[in-house]
Amino acid sequence: MADKDDKRPDHDDQGKGRARGVEIHDARAPSRRNFLKSVGATSLAAATAPAWARVGYVNHDEQEPQDKRADEGEAPAKGTQRITLNVNGQAHTLDVTPNMVLLDVLRHQLALTGTKKGCDIGQCGACTVHVNGVSINSCLSLAVMHDGDEVTTVEGLGQNGKLHPIQQAFLDHDAYQCGYCTPGQMMSAVAILNDAEVASDDAAVREAMSGNICRCGAYKNILSAIQTARKNV
Amino acid sequence: MTETIIGHRTTRVDGELKLTGKADYTSDHNLPNQAYGYPVPSTIACGKLLELDIDEARQAPGVIEIVHRGNFPQLQPSDNNPACGTAARLYRSPSTMAEQNKVGEVRLPFEDDGIHYEGQYIALVVADTFEHARAAARLVKARYEVHEAVPGLFSTDDEGEEAGDEAVSRGDPAGAYETAPVKLDQTYTIAMETHMAMEMHASIATWEDDRLTIYESTQGVVFQRNALAQIFGIPPEKVTVIAHYIGSGFGSKLFMWPHAVMTAVASRMVGRPVKTVLSRQQNFCNAGNRPASRQHVRMAADRDGKLLSIRHDSQNETSFIDSYTESIGSGTPRAYACDNVSVSQRRVQVNHGTPTSMRAPGEVSGSVALEIAMDELAIELGMDPLELRRKNFAERDPTADLPWSGNHLRECWDDASRRFGWEKRNPEIGSMRDGHEIIGWGMADATWEAMRSHCKARVELRADGKVQVACGTQDIGTGTYTIVAQTAAELTGVPLSRIEVKLGDSMLPAGPLSGGSMATATVLPAVAGATRDVIEQLKQIAIADGAPFAGKEADSLEFKNGELSDGSRSVSFVDILNAVPRGMVEGEASAAPGDEQDKFSFRSFGAHFVEIRWDPGISRLRVSRVVSTIDIGRAINPLTAKNQVEGAIVMGMGMGMFEETEYDPAGNIYNNNYADYVVPVHADIPDIEVELLDNPDYNFNEFGARGVGEIGITGMAAAISNAVYHATGKRIRDMPIKIADLID
Repeated sequence: MADKDDKRPDHDDQGKGRARGVEIHDARAPSRRNFLKSVGATSLAAATAPAWARVGYVNHDEQEPQDKRADEGEAPAKGTQRITLNVNGQAHTLDVTPNMVLLDVLRHQLALTGTKKGCDIGQCGACTVHVNGVSINSCLSLAVMHDGDEVTTVEGLGQNGKLHPIQQAFLDHDAYQCGYCTPGQMMSAVAILNDAEVASDDAAVREAMSGNICRCGAYKNILSAIQTARKNV
Repeated sequence: MTETIIGHRTTRVDGELKLTGKADYTSDHNLPNQAYGYPVPSTIACGKLLELDIDEARQAPGVIEIVHRGNFPQLQPSDNNPACGTAARLYRSPSTMAEQNKVGEVRLPFEDDGIHYEGQYIALVVADTFEHARAAARLVKARYEVHEAVPGLFSTDDEGEEAGDEAVSRGDPAGAYETAPVKLDQTYTIAMETHMAMEMHASIATWEDDRLTIYESTQGVVFQRNALAQIFGIPPEKVTVIAHYIGSGFGSKLFMWPHAVMTAVASRMVGRPVKTVLSRQQNFCNAGNRPASRQHVRMAADRDGKLLSIRHDSQNETSFIDSYTESIGSGTPRAYACDNVSVSQRRVQVNHGTPTSMRAPGEVSGSVALEIAMDELAIELGMDPLELRRKNFAERDPTADLPWSGNHLRECWDDASRRFGWEKRNPEIGSMRDGHEIIGWGMADATWEAMRSHCKARVELRADGKVQVACGTQDIGTGTYTIVAQTAAELTGVPLSRIEVKLGDSMLPAGPLSGGSMATATVLPAVAGATRDVIEQLKQIAIADGAPFAGKEADSLEFKNGELSDGSRSVSFVDILNAVPRGMVEGEASAAPGDEQDKFSFRSFGAHFVEIRWDPGISRLRVSRVVSTIDIGRAINPLTAKNQVEGAIVMGMGMGMFEETEYDPAGNIYNNNYADYVVPVHADIPDIEVELLDNPDYNFNEFGARGVGEIGITGMAAAISNAVYHATGKRIRDMPIKIADLID
């Protein structure tokens, strides 16, 4: 890839752009500082027992009664922290334990199962979501770090029942097979298309997309889809 | 019939569901009152479980039950085991293909105290949340008696056990070899590979009285239903297996693994649904692998390149608890015209989980050795490697003395070599350069047999205008939903948007495994039969008294564009159903292969041409171009078929350059994750140009399709190795090729 990267006009900036999302001075972006702040607070609150000791899922799909959902009128259960996640434009107030991972909270508590778990340790990209406009692996991020954050998942890509241009391009180019990595591929693709630091040539897109594994190997069609969607995003 | 939908590029009918996050994969289901299972794996590879300390885990928050050998139903009825309820006994599945109850690992979970491989389950923690189950699983402590492990095929002198039914011999290969002027005698190895399907194995089990429903990421709902019925000793009708969407499998999800049994038992014990999702690490241990293999090839030719003798003797790993045979040499007797051929296979027991089918099982491994050997022989003879293959083209199937139903390998060679520019190849090693890079060009053949099994299907025409097609097969990402819809659309003239396809449920008419490249050829004839049947049923309804075509002969009516017509008047099936009135009419059919196998040999063929670039200055090896031409008969949907071949080529690159499941001397895997088990990623992908020839094989089925999933991976690793030799002069016979192999 490096041979083609050399031709990039913004070669000198290489590496800065994609890291921007994790610079710690950006309060809204996922950051190490936010992480320490939120975990620290929770650890103090739950000094004696493991913090995850007494809570079930507050709004487990279908079966948990509504009254168990976090409610502004009640204090959060001991060992939990109340957070608000703005997911796909909708605010959700949730009580979460400090070991709850953003991916699991999306899937288990908010029933947003479009975001997939492929490895749970940040290696495959299937769980990619946008937090405050920056793409992250949601399996590597604790839910408590995201109080007040804007999260976009695959369910929030399309608007008004219409496919997002990246979804349309994936459909037209058959940029998937089993479809399991696809939500993550598309979330990364949208982030890349909106990132001026990622050049538009094929080699740059391939390099930037390499955190998203497609074991079916539909890479050729994914690239075609991204380059087609570029014109419409 | 002029086909307007079949054979045409069709975007997936399930595409929008997959693209909007609505497609329901197994772990996306959450059942009311569901608990979570988290398996506890053995940390040793060989020995005995002496003691399991579950006290601390039992006290952990949210824990409902810990399932283990002490409370798990055993093969013999147990009186002192109240936790198991009345139906305390389990049975092993007979595990046969014929009875469609084959499982990946025959041993039941916790069946004895033996530890046979790392990661073997020693307990399953069941808790109210995923987090609680995961946390408690880490509190389970085990004490083992550790025995010396056999960490793999390449760490043992064991010759293994002969798999007698794999042996093939014709002519006098040893005698012909002795007297031949040009000989080759080489050994090739392939590392163990892991499937790495993106969706991890998962089960959600729930019981209602004595009925079991299980959501499973499986390539075979019917097989799993039958196996569970055998294991629990209940009628198959009482088991339902559901797999609407599968995050692919590549063979690892063909046959059930122990986590499903464990989860079903746990659900019965705790009286609520239990969901178990294996971690990525557990997927390496308990869900199959492509076993490591060693192949000894002895080949001889005359000075003109005519093959005189091929002997292909292989070994594959199996586990200590199952006897798995990888049919490595199975393609060899058919590959080339040669009078003297023998093939043998041995199994060597190692402390790994039981291997299973992985994309093009057996033949892809065999193609590595055979197709590198052909390249070596060509160099020995001073011939172009493509020319050597042309010289030994098999006009008929040499094993069965049957004509090929369709063998277009020569067209594949012509087309791919022309598009690649093979005639510009300078055969001299390292002679082709581009700046710092040395270019290597290599080629290999691809092949896979065409198989078909039996299948049932149901089609309903509904008064609301919908056509519903149902079959108990599944779509693992290959596009089965779409080709089934295309078939119904083609035969009814109803647009795809009004066709609903139901797959992935064992309650539907029994369909085949999604594997072996046989789903298309198996399913579509049944779907077509059911569609024709429903049209007949509609005609009968339409000619009854008071119906729109009362008094007409059924044979005089024609069904086109969703309408019945008597030549002068057309009435839609919706109007017919509403006139009668009926909510729907249904048709059924089953289809199976006939006697065509006695008349023809059915195989697909193709050719890969690969360019690699080796930059010795920075020790960088890349595949830079792949040009392949493949003949699969008719591609029902060229859009998805081509995608599959391209994907198989990518997986073949993995086999040739990256993939290796690595064990330490104690038998523990040390690269059990996506970072250390390297698979091809976007940045690795070269220009891949695939052409599918269109030669419908109507001897095989009415649509002429032979299947597409496996063939693309065969030959790829060999083509890469051959290209590497052309660039570097280094003959790499051990897959994957490593940079270290190429550094001077």
